[in-house]
Order: sequence, then C-alpha cells, then structure tokens
Amino acid sequence: MNHLNEEELVGHYYGEGGNHAATEEHLEACAACAEAYSALRQDLAQVKRVELPARDGSYGEQVWQSIVHSLPAYAAPKRSWPGVGLWKGLVYGAVCALLVAGAFVAGRQWEHRKQPTTAGNTSSQTQQRVILVVLGDHLDRSERLLVELKHADAGSAEMVSPMRDEARSLLAANRVCRQDAAQIGDPALATALDHLNPLLAELANQPGALNSATITRLQEEMNADGLLFEVRVLRSRLPDRQAGSAARSNGGTI
Amino acid sequence: MHCMGQNDHATIQAILSGDKEAYGALVLRHSHSLFRVAYRITGNEADAEDVVQEAFLRGYRNLRGFESRSNFGTWIYRIAVHCALDRIKGYKVDDSSRVGGETDPEQDQVQVADQAAGPERLLLSGEIEAMQQTAMQSLTPTERTAFVLRHMEDRTSEEIAAALGIRPNAAKQAVFRAVQKLRIRLAPLRVKI
Repeated sequence: MNHLNEEELVGHYYGEGGNHAATEEHLEACAACAEAYSALRQDLAQVKRVELPARDGSYGEQVWQSIVHSLPAYAAPKRSWPGVGLWKGLVYGAVCALLVAGAFVAGRQWEHRKQPTTAGNTSSQTQQRVILVVLGDHLDRSERLLVELKHADAGSAEMVSPMRDEARSLLAANRVCRQDAAQIGDPALATALDHLNPLLAELANQPGALNSATITRLQEEMNADGLLFEVRVLRSRLPDRQAGSAARSNGGTI
Repeated sequence: MHCMGQNDHATIQAILSGDKEAYGALVLRHSHSLFRVAYRITGNEADAEDVVQEAFLRGYRNLRGFESRSNFGTWIYRIAVHCALDRIKGYKVDDSSRVGGETDPEQDQVQVADQAAGPERLLLSGEIEAMQQTAMQSLTPTERTAFVLRHMEDRTSEEIAAALGIRPNAAKQAVFRAVQKLRIRLAPLRVKI
C-alpha cells in the first residue's frame, strides 16, 4: 500500500484531491496516513484563529468619502440623432454629385472652346498647303518658260507663240502668287515673283511674233538666267516648306 | 447615496454616463469584503485600508474595461488582491532584511520558548496570532496570497489563479508550499499546546 504524500493530504484537506472517496478509504485503512492527516488538520486549524479588526456599518461610507474627491466624472457619451447621420450623408452625396457635374460641364465647355480653334488651325494649315502647291506649280511653269526662253529659237513660230500665251497665263497667276507669298510670310519668294513679273509682262505684251532680237534682249535685259536660277532655288525650298506644313498639321514641330 | 436599489451593471452604466456619485453604491456594497481579503493578505490594518481605497480608485479608472457579463464584486475583489499583493511585495525587501525569508525554524522554536514564560502563556491567543503572523511573513508574497485565498477565503485553485494571473497548477503549488512552510514554522506551537 502506497502512503499518501503531503501534497495529496493538503489537496484532500481543501477538497481538491483527485479521488476524494478513495483517499477517505485509504485514511481509514492506513493509520500512518491518518495520523499525518490529523496533524495537518490540527496545524491548519490553528491558522484560522486570526481575528479580523472590527469594521462598523459606516466603513463603506468612510471609504467612499475618502476617494470621492479623487474621482473625475466620466464624460457623458455624445448624443446623436438617427436623422443627423442620414442628413449628413445626403449633404455629402449632393456635394459630391455637384462637383462631378461641375467638372463634367467645365470639361464640355473647355472642349467646345477648343474645337473652333483647332478647326481654324486645321483650316489655316490646309489653306497654307494649297498655297504651297499652287506656288510650286507656278514656279514649275515659270521655270519651264524661262528654260524655253533661254533656248528659244526666234525662227520657230510654233515655239514662240505658245511661250507668249504661257507668259500671259503666268502673268495673271503671278499676281495671285505674289499675294500668296506675302500671306505665307515668305519675303524671298515675294521678291522673286516681283522680279519675274516684268519679264512675264514683257513676254505677254509683245506685239506680233517674237523675233530673235526681242528674245535676246529679253534674255539679257531681264536677266532671264538669273531669274531661272532664282526660281530653281525657290522651287528647291518649297518641298521643305510643304513637309513643314504637313508636320504642323499633324501636331508635330518644325 | 442613490442607485442603491439597482444592480451593479445598471450602476456602472450610470457612472459611465457621468453620474460619479453612483459609484458610492458599489463602494458601500463591496468595501467589507475587500477589507477582509486585504487585511488577511497584508496582515496590517492600515495597509488593508489603503488597499481598499486603491482598489476602488483603480476600479473606477478602469471601469470602461469592465465587461458587462462579469460580476463586479469578483472583478473588484481581484483588483484588491492585486493591490494587496503589490503592497506586500513592496514590503518584502524590507522584511527580508529584518525577518529573513528562510530563517532557521529551530531558531524560531528557541525564540518562542524564550519568549514564553510557560505553556499557559502560549495559550494566549494574542501570542499565537503573533507567531502565526511571523510564520505568514516568512512566505513569499505569492504564497501568502495564494494561501490566504485558499485557506481563509475558500477560493478554488482556479479562482486563485485568476486573481494572481497564474495557471491553476501554479496556484495549487503555491498553496502547498505555503502550507509546508507554515507547518514548519508553527511546529513549536503544536508541541507546546
């Protein structure tokens, strides 16, 4: 038979042993354990004799009075009406909706204002391209006329007659092109066209058929070679201008 | 003092709503039980009164943390146990130099014999209590508190563990160690009685 150890006896004394009934049986059967348990009970019973100092009925009131002045009052929770939250939400919603609508309207207005300018720019760029094409064509024809004039054979009426007709046609066009050159802001072109104008006028207004002397005079006096060179230079510049105009119309930079 | 007829939970709601005076009802209701356990743990009347006041102050400050499903009496009781334990822990440093945590029991036996004029003198309750008090002071704060809660307050190991913030088995062990030490200390008394 195993004896109960002190820890088991203490547990049994406080009613916390594993098996109370079995321990009781063992204590009845085992004199040594019963004696040990009796001694334990006697010792622990001694400890219970401690007396508490008397406290009268007013003790609680005394405690309260001693601490009441040290206690801060809790802040009452803020009241909130159920409708207030709803109204707040509605107001916030309305403000947000107004902001969105305002931004939409402002965007539309801005787009409307921007559109004519863009259209105007596009139209202006298209017009400039047309002018450049017309000018190019005019310079081509002028170049051909000057080349023909340079190599003209005064004896051939078949060659001279069309030159005069072409000069008349170019003379009319030259005035328009002169204005166009001024419009696109090309002073070199305008000057060249100014130089071309007397030659064209002379050619167009020659009475009768062009003879050898007239052609030679025109070639010399009107500096036809110089004009031809000038027209060729201008023609070579025109493709660059056309390319620049196309780039502008596509939104690029020159 | 108002709100006396209301239960503790209703009183706490009133306090948290700004009615400070309502706390007085809880103080009146639980002061005696707190003093009892505080005195048993500290072994000193003045300390016990301080512990009661401190416990109620701590309780008031932490009232928002009190869970409504708990029992206020149990909650404030645990706070008081903590306060008392803190107090005797603070004293323990001084006591250890004065009394000694692990003094020789034989020495105590001699002291008792020396102090006693005879067996009749030992029967005087005052002297027995003084000896028991000395024996109690030889325990560690945790052992003393666990023993008081188990032996004098009839608390279970689970309740002791909850009050001290330890595991139930540790609480049981603390009680057992306290009993062992007390029996050794009180052995001279048993012989002479």
